[in-house]
Amino acid sequence: MPILESPEVAELETCSTSELPDFTTESYKDAYSRINAIVIEGEQEAHDNYIAIGTLIPDQLEELQKLARMELKHMKGFTACGRNLGVKADMPFAKEFFGGLHGNFQKALSEGKLTTCFLIQAILIEAFAISAYHVYIRVADPFARKITEGVVQDEYLHLNYGQEWLKANLDTCKDELMKANKENLPLIRSMLDQVAKDAESLQMDKEELMEEFMIAYQDSLTEIGLDNREIARMALAAVI
Amino acid sequence: MFGLIGHSTSFQDARRKAMDLGYDHIAEGDLDVWCTAPPQLVEHVEIVSAVGKTIQGAYIDSCFVPEMLSRFKTARRKVLNAMELAQKKGINITALGGFTSIIFENFNLLKHQHIRNTTLQWERFTTGNTHTAWVICRQLEINAPSVGIDLKKARVAVIGATGDIGSAVCRWLVDRTNVAELLLVARQKQPLLDLQKDLGGGVINTLEEALPKADVVVWVASMPKTLEIDSTNLQSPCLMIDGGYPKNLDAKFSGKGVHILKGGIVEFFTDIGWSMMELAEMDRPQREMFACFAEAMLLEFENCHTNFSWGRNNITLEKMDYIGNASVKHGFSTLNLKTQFQAAVA
Repeated sequence: MPILESPEVAELETCSTSELPDFTTESYKDAYSRINAIVIEGEQEAHDNYIAIGTLIPDQLEELQKLARMELKHMKGFTACGRNLGVKADMPFAKEFFGGLHGNFQKALSEGKLTTCFLIQAILIEAFAISAYHVYIRVADPFARKITEGVVQDEYLHLNYGQEWLKANLDTCKDELMKANKENLPLIRSMLDQVAKDAESLQMDKEELMEEFMIAYQDSLTEIGLDNREIARMALAAVI
Repeated sequence: MFGLIGHSTSFQDARRKAMDLGYDHIAEGDLDVWCTAPPQLVEHVEIVSAVGKTIQGAYIDSCFVPEMLSRFKTARRKVLNAMELAQKKGINITALGGFTSIIFENFNLLKHQHIRNTTLQWERFTTGNTHTAWVICRQLEINAPSVGIDLKKARVAVIGATGDIGSAVCRWLVDRTNVAELLLVARQKQPLLDLQKDLGGGVINTLEEALPKADVVVWVASMPKTLEIDSTNLQSPCLMIDGGYPKNLDAKFSGKGVHILKGGIVEFFTDIGWSMMELAEMDRPQREMFACFAEAMLLEFENCHTNFSWGRNNITLEKMDYIGNASVKHGFSTLNLKTQFQAAVA
C-alpha cells in the first residue's frame, strides 16, 4: 500500500540520474577500445554463424543470408563509432573474448547440432547483444547512440529466425536445448564478469547489464514456448 | 485483464517463496542475484464478482525486496521492468502495490516512459490510492463506534496528512463525517498550511502533540524508526488504523484500550484461488488483499480502463464514491476489528 512519506524513500528523493561520461578521456577511450571491439566481433560472429547455419538447412539459406547481411551492416556501424571517437578497436582481445562460444558453436556445427547452434547464436548472443545495446544507449556519445538505436530497431523488426525455428521444433529439441544451455550460459556470465570493469568506465553498470540480459533471455525462451519453471531451471546455470 | 505488481515483504520471504514456486535460480541467489532478476508473472487468476461478472488477472512479482530501497537505480529498474512486463502481457489495468507505487512517485518515474522498445502507457496503471483512502475512511466510520468512540466527540489525527491518501482521508472526514476535531500531522510545514486552507479547517499538530489527545489515529505515513511511544499516554479507547507500509504499528503500541486495525485492507466475499497474498502476510490470504490491488480488479469489473488513481492529491470525493460503490457491489468489504469472540477463536 502506498505511503508517500516513508523516511527511507524521502532520503533518496534527491538522487538524480548520472550525467554522461567524458568521451574524450584516455581512460574512456582505453575501455572503449575493448568494448567496441567486442561489439564489432559480436556482429561479425553473428554474421558468420548465420551463414554457417545455412549450410545445415540449405532451404533456409536465403533467409539466413538476409540476417547475416544485417549483422554485417551493424558491424560497420559500430566500426564507425570507434572511428568517430578516434579509438582503435582491440580485435585480438575480442576474438579471445568470444573464443569459448565460438569454439562451442563450431563444434556443434561440425556435429550438425542445429539446436545448439541456434541456442548459442539466436538466444545467447542475440540476448547478450541487445541487452548491452539497451544499457549502452543511455550513456553513449550522440553519434554512437544514433547508430545503436538503429541497430536495436533492426533487431526488434527482424524476425528472430532461430527463435522461430526452436519454437517450431521445441518438442524434439528440448533436451538438446537444455544441455546446450547448461554448457553455454555460464560462458555468458563469465564474459560479463570479464568486461565489467571496462563497462563501468563507460558508465554501464554490471548489475544492469546482467538484468537486461536475463530479461532478453527470458523473453526469448518464453517466446519459443518454455514455461516459467523450465526457464528458471535453465537460468540456474547462470547462477551456479 | 487486470494486473497486480507486488513484492515480498523481505528478502528472506522472497527467497522462500521463490523456492516454493520452483524459481530455484533466484531463490538460491544472494541479494545481488535478485537485483539482476527480471520481473516474473507468477500467477493467473479468474475472479467472479458478487454480481456474477468474471474477470481474468495476473500477479507480477517485481523481484523488488525492501532491502533494495537504498539502491536507487535497482529499485527504479524493478518497478519500470515490472510495468513493462504488465503492458507487454496486454494487461488493461495494473495496480502498483507495496513499495512500487512509492518508488514510482518519489523517484519521479514519469520521466522514464520508454523502457527498451516499449513506451509505457500510463493509463494502464493505477496506484490504487483512491480505493485505499475510501477503505480507510470506512474502517474508521465502522470501527470507532464499535470500540466506544463517538465520532461526533472524537479527535482524529491523520499522520501523513499531506500525502495522496492522507489528504483524501482528510477531505472525506471534513465533508462526510462529524468528527469533533481533525489533527493534521506531516513532516513539512507548507504543504500542511496549504492542506489546512483547502480543507477550511483542521489543526496542525506535531506527532508528539497529536498522539496523546487523539481518539482515532490514522497512520498513512511510515512511522519514524526512532519513535518511542508510551502507550499509557494514549487515550483509552484509542483506535489506530495502520494504513502505512509495511504494517508495523502493533509492534509499537499495545495496552488496554488501544485497538490496532490493519488499514486499507479489504476482504472478498468468497475465496480466490490464488497464493500470492500469502506474500503479503494476510491473515486470510484467500480473501484478504490490499485495497490498492482490489482497485485494479474493480476497474476491470467496471470496464473502467484508466489510470484512475494517478499523481498526487488528485483523489476527489466523487472518485472515492465511485470506487466505494463498485467495491460494495462486487463483493468487497473492509477489514474490521475482530470481536472478542473472534479474537479468542483466533
